[in-house]
Amino acid sequence: MKNTWILVQRYFSQEVRNSNVLFSLGLYLVGVAYLIYLLNGGSIPADKVWNTLLWIVVFFGAIQLSSRSFEFESNDYFHYYQTIAGPGATIIAKLLFNSAYITVISGVTWGLFIVFFGNPVYNNTLFGLALLLGSVGCSVVLTLTSGVAQRTQGNATLGAILAIPLLLPILQLTSALNLQAIVGVPTNEAFNLIGSLGALDIGIGLLAYLLFPYLWQD
Amino acid sequence: MKGLPYKIAGLLLILFSLTYGLWSEVPDLPIIEQSIRNLFYHVSMWFAMVAMMAASFGNAIGFLSSEDMARDRRSISLAETGMFFSVLGLLTGMLWAKFTWGAWWTNDPKLNGTAITMLIYLAYFVLRNSIDDPRKRARISGVYNIFAFVMMIVFIGILPRMTDSLHPGNGGNPGFNSYDLDNRLRLVFYPAVLGWILVGTWIASLRYRLRTLEE
Repeated sequence: MKNTWILVQRYFSQEVRNSNVLFSLGLYLVGVAYLIYLLNGGSIPADKVWNTLLWIVVFFGAIQLSSRSFEFESNDYFHYYQTIAGPGATIIAKLLFNSAYITVISGVTWGLFIVFFGNPVYNNTLFGLALLLGSVGCSVVLTLTSGVAQRTQGNATLGAILAIPLLLPILQLTSALNLQAIVGVPTNEAFNLIGSLGALDIGIGLLAYLLFPYLWQD
Repeated sequence: MKGLPYKIAGLLLILFSLTYGLWSEVPDLPIIEQSIRNLFYHVSMWFAMVAMMAASFGNAIGFLSSEDMARDRRSISLAETGMFFSVLGLLTGMLWAKFTWGAWWTNDPKLNGTAITMLIYLAYFVLRNSIDDPRKRARISGVYNIFAFVMMIVFIGILPRMTDSLHPGNGGNPGFNSYDLDNRLRLVFYPAVLGWILVGTWIASLRYRLRTLEE
């Protein structure tokens, strides 16, 4: 557990040190949100379209982020980490870091959408919860698939090809929950969807944890 | 010839479902009418596909725990056969949809599930082709296979139950349950499922042997 925490801190400091990447991601989010605003002629999209656009922006931001997820771990570096921390700690640290990162991306996107298109959401708590659960699910899938892609000699497009079909179930569930939040279903009546999304997150997280060591054997 | 009994049994069962399926008596229902016979040919494809994918998943787990390359060859052969069944299931389903729902493609959770299943397994084939070292390919694609199968089950098995569907037995649709209980349909449907699973196993075993010879 201590190792995991050190690794998470290390990933964060790596990210802060590499600030041009952070800026390019921020620029992407602002740029795309503004592009939608511009093309839409400044009018406010219908609720369902608003939700769809939000997830498309988050989706590509997350894919862009994950394509670099294992970038700094060229083989030597990785073996170094593996020997001192072990694969279990590494995957948990990666999952925590990516989940936090994608949650921030989706939060920022929500903020940008509020600025440009207003906030159609009625139940903000539920919407935030849906963003959190969806981001965690996406990060699990993206972490595993970018690990897979990294093992095929860092083919970044392959990571996206592998991840997109696997992300769709999570995004569909999440956006169903988001739509409920938009129309204002009370949080305690959405337990069915929250529960299944949460269970899915935990299930695939566990699966990623179990499968990850096999990826890195040589 | 190895496994002759199961191959012959599979062929006979399919032959039975193809012929008797066309002249057996079926329930007479509005809209669906005689196309209800497609139950024997369309739904059995999905049963066969899920069986093949499940066997592929089992072999992927087997490979990861035993490092036996034969397991990996079985896993990919079974996945290819499953893909073949899903293409057939999609085509028969599209025909059926055109005649009963009036469109080749509808926004139905089961159709989306199928499309995504096919994308997932196509990505799996792309992944396999992009790694040269056989042992590494087996391990990495095994990991993806296991993960993909679980997501597929979530998508085709769990999500459709939570939303409305045009398909019988889900959502607000009165459903096949009333015809499902019809023994005249069962008499042909179950043999068809079993027959296609047996023949699918046969196809996969041929692909497996071809692979073994190539290596």
